[in-house]
Amino acid sequence: MLTSFSRGKGAALAFALAAAILATPAIGATDLTDIGSIDQNALAALPQFQAANRQLADYGNSLQKQFSAHAAHASQADQQKLYGQLQAEMADKQRAVLGPLFQRAQVAIASVASSHNLSVVVDKRIVVYGGQDITGPVRDLLTGVGDPVPPVSTPKPSSIGYVDQQAIDQTPKVKAATDDFMKFKNDQDAATRDKLKSAKTDADRDAILTAYRKTLDDRQNTTLKPAVDATRDAISAVAKSKGLVLVIDRGNIIYGGTDITTDVTAKLK
Amino acid sequence: MRLCVAIVAAAALAACGRTATTTAPAAVASANGKVGYVQMDELVRKHPLYDQLARYDRSIEAFDLTATAPRALSADPHLREEAKQLEQQLHDAADRTQKLLDQKQRQYQLQESQAIEAALRGAGSGPTAAQIAGRLNATARQQEGGAGLQAQRDYQAFQAQVRKQDEEQVVAAQKALAERADRTFRAKSDELQSKESALSLELANEDAAQRLALRTKLSSLALDDAAREDAQKQLAALDRKEADAVGAQRNRDQQTLLALSAQLKAQVEKDLRTQVDQIHKRSIALLSQRQSALAGPASGIAGPIVQTTVVNGKPRAVVNPSLPPALRTQIQKLHDDYQKRFQNDAKTTIAEFTKTREELSRRYAQLQGVDVSAQSGANTQIEALRKKRSDLYDQITAQIDREVRLIAQQRGVSVVLTDVVAPADGVDLTPDALKDIESLHE
Repeated sequence: MLTSFSRGKGAALAFALAAAILATPAIGATDLTDIGSIDQNALAALPQFQAANRQLADYGNSLQKQFSAHAAHASQADQQKLYGQLQAEMADKQRAVLGPLFQRAQVAIASVASSHNLSVVVDKRIVVYGGQDITGPVRDLLTGVGDPVPPVSTPKPSSIGYVDQQAIDQTPKVKAATDDFMKFKNDQDAATRDKLKSAKTDADRDAILTAYRKTLDDRQNTTLKPAVDATRDAISAVAKSKGLVLVIDRGNIIYGGTDITTDVTAKLK
Repeated sequence: MRLCVAIVAAAALAACGRTATTTAPAAVASANGKVGYVQMDELVRKHPLYDQLARYDRSIEAFDLTATAPRALSADPHLREEAKQLEQQLHDAADRTQKLLDQKQRQYQLQESQAIEAALRGAGSGPTAAQIAGRLNATARQQEGGAGLQAQRDYQAFQAQVRKQDEEQVVAAQKALAERADRTFRAKSDELQSKESALSLELANEDAAQRLALRTKLSSLALDDAAREDAQKQLAALDRKEADAVGAQRNRDQQTLLALSAQLKAQVEKDLRTQVDQIHKRSIALLSQRQSALAGPASGIAGPIVQTTVVNGKPRAVVNPSLPPALRTQIQKLHDDYQKRFQNDAKTTIAEFTKTREELSRRYAQLQGVDVSAQSGANTQIEALRKKRSDLYDQITAQIDREVRLIAQQRGVSVVLTDVVAPADGVDLTPDALKDIESLHE
């Protein structure tokens, strides 16, 4: 009897616990995920990044003056050559000034992500709800004494995938569709600009702009949309085959994630 | 440059993290808890404030197409034509000044000849002097007749030109005033629309908690009919209250805009009248000045010039050496005196030309300024519109975020992302969020 009672009591307790868990899905929800986020603007506002930006801005201004002084007496070809040379100098300076800071930031992010058991860290701007915001710990590491310690392991496999949209845009079909649309848009912009100049009233102007938008929308539907749909289908197919939950753009990934760009571009060819 | 660096920094931060993923093994479904997503663009389009957002987009698009096109304004044929006209006016003014100086020279020569003739008569120098005077008189009359006709033609051309300039200036003033009024009206209209949107959002936020409680109550299956009806009535009352407040504000704004429109119209008419008066006065003054300048030579007073010879390549008046020395001295003095007076008068004419040239230069600079200030004004307006658009977008997405959070909690979703390229197996919360957003319209 006692045994039977105890068994029944245990079962009731288990049921009650299960019911309680099911009834409160929101409690601690953010602790259940391996997805992290970072507010990049907050990191960019750190004193060392601000100082680096100022240093680069000053350097950029000095290059600008250098260009203005030489360009006044130089031919078009020499101006272009000089411009390219100064651009390269600016890029070198950026690497020299920002490189060590980025290296440090990379280690800090990886370290915090590892300690929080995260498989991916995304830009905070795309997070509507949940996830672990690790901006604070990363900022603490970056502003603290000493260098952050790199994690011993690579990020764990993530169910969040990403693609390099720029690489996908360069696949033949997508590029052809984009080029075609951009050429059409440029022509439409020029024609609309001319029409707007002769518009006499607000009503005229609105009518011209409405027609402009409709023309672009129609063209978008006939040229761009099929390419976009095909791309999305290809990404979804690859993602499902790899057991991914979502795929986002590479620009929104800060750390970790699963890169499926190569598989998608191969599928699109 | 700072922006560029910030972007570089952000991109590099992203790149930093990605290098670590290259060694990651193939993905498995490892996310603990459910991962959801929403199509933010779709939700924004269904938001009650989307119309306002779309209006901003259209305004920005219109500005982008008209004002920020590369040097669109400086390439404006109207401005180019005006600049060309100003250059022509400067050229014409130089021509007119040259002709006026020629006429004055002739006028002084005639007066000088007259004075010399009187001196000769007073000295009683007999037929030799009278013959000299007579011969020079005939030449002077011939010169005077030609100059008078030329002056008349010149005056008529000047009059036609002034009239044409008058008309063009009136049209330009009318256009500038109308455009200024239009800009003022649009700015006010945008401001009021923005305030209406803010009010609408503020009211929605104020009632958000009550609305959510009512909706939660309504979603309960256990609710009896009476309680359900009561809750629905309360929801309807909330909607009515918000709609009435926004409607009342809109009516007040319409009244404000109507009053502003009338005020601007009156102001444009008043300013235009003032400017037209000024333009006409300036033209009349110009014509009258010109007429007085021509009146002297037209009076046709004849008189001899003594003699003109060329010394060292320059024309020079020389008193006839056959005259008695005393008379020669007197005539020489008269000549020097008239020369001096002519030079003083010429200085005034040249000063007037300089003034005209400066005025034309100023107008030319102003014309260039129109281009620069119009460009800068348009850029400022675009920036202001972009800021308003961004603020409104943030307000809209903040409200959507709140709705999505509630839905995620109710459905047990741990993380919700947006800007998703492809959904795969994530939970799509867009339809639920759409329903909630659409209910804000009710």
